[in-house]
Amino acid sequence: MNVSNGAEEDVILALRGITKIFPGVVALDRVELAIRRNEVVGLVGENGAGKSVLMKILIGLLQPDEGRVLLEGIPITLRDPSDAIRHGIGMVFQEGSLVPNLSVTENLFLCHENGFSRLGFFSLRSMREAARELLGELGLQVDVSEPVAEIGPSARQMVEIARLLWLSRLYGRDNPVLILDEPTTVLADKERETLFRILRELKKRASVVFISHRIQEVVENSDRIYVLKDGKNVTEMGAADARIVRIEQLMVGHSFSADRFHEDEQRTERGREILRIEDLGRTGIFEPLSFTVREGEIVSLIGLVGSGKEEICRCIAGLERADTGSISLDGRKLPTGSPDVAVRAGIGHIPIDRRSEGLALMMSVADNVNLLVLDRLKRAGLLSPAQERKNAQHWVSECQIKTPSISTMCANLSGGNQQKTVMSKWLSSQVRLLILDHPTRGIDVGAKDEIYKLLRRLAQQGIGMVIMCDTLEEDIGLSDRMLVLKDGRLVREVDTPPQKKPSPQSIISLIV
Amino acid sequence: MTTVTARSGGLTPLRERLPGSIVSAATWFWRGGVAAQVLTLAIVIGIFAVGTGGKYLSWSNIQVILSLAAIPAIFAIGLHPTIVPGGIDLSVQGVASLVAVFVGLLLKNQYNAHDVGFWIIPLCMLIGAVAGAVNGLLNTALRIPSFIASLGMGWILYGLAVYMGKAVNVPLLDTRIGKFTSATLWGVPLIAIAVVVFTSIVQVIEDRTRLGRYMYAIGGDEVIAKQAGVNVGMTKVALFTVAGAVYGLASVLLTCRLGIATSRMGLTLLFPTVTAVAVGGVALTGGIGGAKNAALGALIVTALNDGLILMHVSPYIQQAVNGVVLIGAVALTIDRKKLGFIK
Repeated sequence: MNVSNGAEEDVILALRGITKIFPGVVALDRVELAIRRNEVVGLVGENGAGKSVLMKILIGLLQPDEGRVLLEGIPITLRDPSDAIRHGIGMVFQEGSLVPNLSVTENLFLCHENGFSRLGFFSLRSMREAARELLGELGLQVDVSEPVAEIGPSARQMVEIARLLWLSRLYGRDNPVLILDEPTTVLADKERETLFRILRELKKRASVVFISHRIQEVVENSDRIYVLKDGKNVTEMGAADARIVRIEQLMVGHSFSADRFHEDEQRTERGREILRIEDLGRTGIFEPLSFTVREGEIVSLIGLVGSGKEEICRCIAGLERADTGSISLDGRKLPTGSPDVAVRAGIGHIPIDRRSEGLALMMSVADNVNLLVLDRLKRAGLLSPAQERKNAQHWVSECQIKTPSISTMCANLSGGNQQKTVMSKWLSSQVRLLILDHPTRGIDVGAKDEIYKLLRRLAQQGIGMVIMCDTLEEDIGLSDRMLVLKDGRLVREVDTPPQKKPSPQSIISLIV
Repeated sequence: MTTVTARSGGLTPLRERLPGSIVSAATWFWRGGVAAQVLTLAIVIGIFAVGTGGKYLSWSNIQVILSLAAIPAIFAIGLHPTIVPGGIDLSVQGVASLVAVFVGLLLKNQYNAHDVGFWIIPLCMLIGAVAGAVNGLLNTALRIPSFIASLGMGWILYGLAVYMGKAVNVPLLDTRIGKFTSATLWGVPLIAIAVVVFTSIVQVIEDRTRLGRYMYAIGGDEVIAKQAGVNVGMTKVALFTVAGAVYGLASVLLTCRLGIATSRMGLTLLFPTVTAVAVGGVALTGGIGGAKNAALGALIVTALNDGLILMHVSPYIQQAVNGVVLIGAVALTIDRKKLGFIK
């Protein structure tokens, strides 16, 4: 171990050589993590760096393929979250883990009501008193009988923290480990300050793993920082001598290779303008902005969570109504907020969650591919099975969808082939513009490459694309032009021509 | 009108202006989860009191309403613990018919040699409990949607009842339970008092025992409840079993009140039971509403129908009004945010 002996004794929880492999992807590769008593550990890394997989292993939601979890030096197995909390390890989830219709009190003690029970009946009064006391320790003023759905996000977080503290006390853990996954994304500035104050208080009797995209927060509020990249430890450093720029560099890494994104196939000649966005805005979400997309051009939107890029894409796809401005396709104005008009005009949308939004999973590949072009596959007013087969077969071979047959149910395909099916659905409908929301999310490396190739071919055919990627590298590598968004404003346009791509390091400072 | 909106209440802007005691009393009233139902009942009573020129408010009519609402209230209390966790038990008609046949076989009458006396009540509750347990197991172990599982079970039980009862009407000779259902205490129908006590007991169980707490947790968010450590499968089976047992109780009381055991008895029970639960403010999306809601719902529906009869409204229009009330109640209580698609 590379930690000194004095610190070694202080380590309450350690992960040693943790490896986790998903089909086709090594999510974690011999990751090391040590958490000491009364310490806030910052954990940073890009999307897909393995942070959440690591945390899921820590709370027993996933089991590591290799490596050990040591609690005070003793190896432990964590079967599920309730097992983890018995060992004093708990997590405050980004999406929350409280039952909305139950009150604050009821949530705090859910499944652990024994101490308040006499002959099987709870004493509601003593539960409420205990709840008030617990929340008082965290300085939270809230009506404990209020249903959780009615209290604010910051109070909800506090209730979750209080629950974890109380449970670890119940199980006799004097120094619990609390994992806070992106706790600040849902909070307003003032609430953030409160959270950090409580974090400092918590340190007196617990250890905290603090995950955030905002590196400044991590540097300011942690004692030590771990940087993960591509499922590997990059470095561990004391927060006192951490520099934000340095962490950013470590996060995005240097393994930038030109051929990975098939840059040599990137189109250089500019076609006609297809999409024109003028003063498009949504009150409180993103400020009015204008941009255009040309034939065969890939325009990437980059920015943090909350920068407004998702909402812009949803507006273009007609899934959300804009408050100001206009969207024109091939010079024709489209009404916003109407997905069927957008589809008919030739705007395709490849959503982030292809399993629930992009595909009808229980339908065959052929049915999915043909879904938007049924009108063209008719003979005498009825669907022609021969035409359906022909169209499906054409696109299956065109997009190289690996499927046993065109009648295979989409649920049985791999992630990469599902994504190709979604894309072929749009291609068969002769789409003009594609909006791609994290097209390679959850897809293994080989299939990613095929998707990249497919995108290049689409560009050659003149389809315009607006894309949001999983990593900055991918954005830079794939795009012809990038639009940098920050807090709902378009702050910069960056050209990314082939062989002359800017470095991720130079871009990241624009985003954060 | 739902407890959801009632809880978030239009109270906030008023809070600062009113004295603290009134605010906390009002909060308590809204939190109780029956404020909307109490108001609905008040409106129904108000309309009919005027419409019938006061006849509606006569003590004899109130006695009629209380007495008529009691057994539907027990049926509704039986149904609601399957709706709160997010499912439904539609087997009420089958359970009731089978119970009626068993009453005809086991309670003293001109055809048989048996007479189990008051033991008929636990026996019928047991029949219902078994049916409910099967519903629960179909739902949790075989993962069949409770809607289908219980609908199928209902028809199975009804078929069994008709087969066993041979469509004979059996007049009952042991009338002790029947007399209880129509007795009064100081002018108040005894069965109404019994139902108030029963409702209170069930409500306390819901508020203050693990089974009740887990029922609401599952209804609120099954995944989170599971992660917190709730044994979701066991809890659901237990709730369906309780539902069946309560159906059994209501059915035996209904049979004895009619004084005739017939396998056809159950056939009209499903619609009023579901209507009562929905009108009472039990959200069909789960998580909200308790025994008091179910009982109040039955009272509202009964009060409504009684008023329509007093005003000599055509029976066909009465049915239509019930349909409107059902749709209206669901429209107001359903939490659409929780449903991705309305099927």
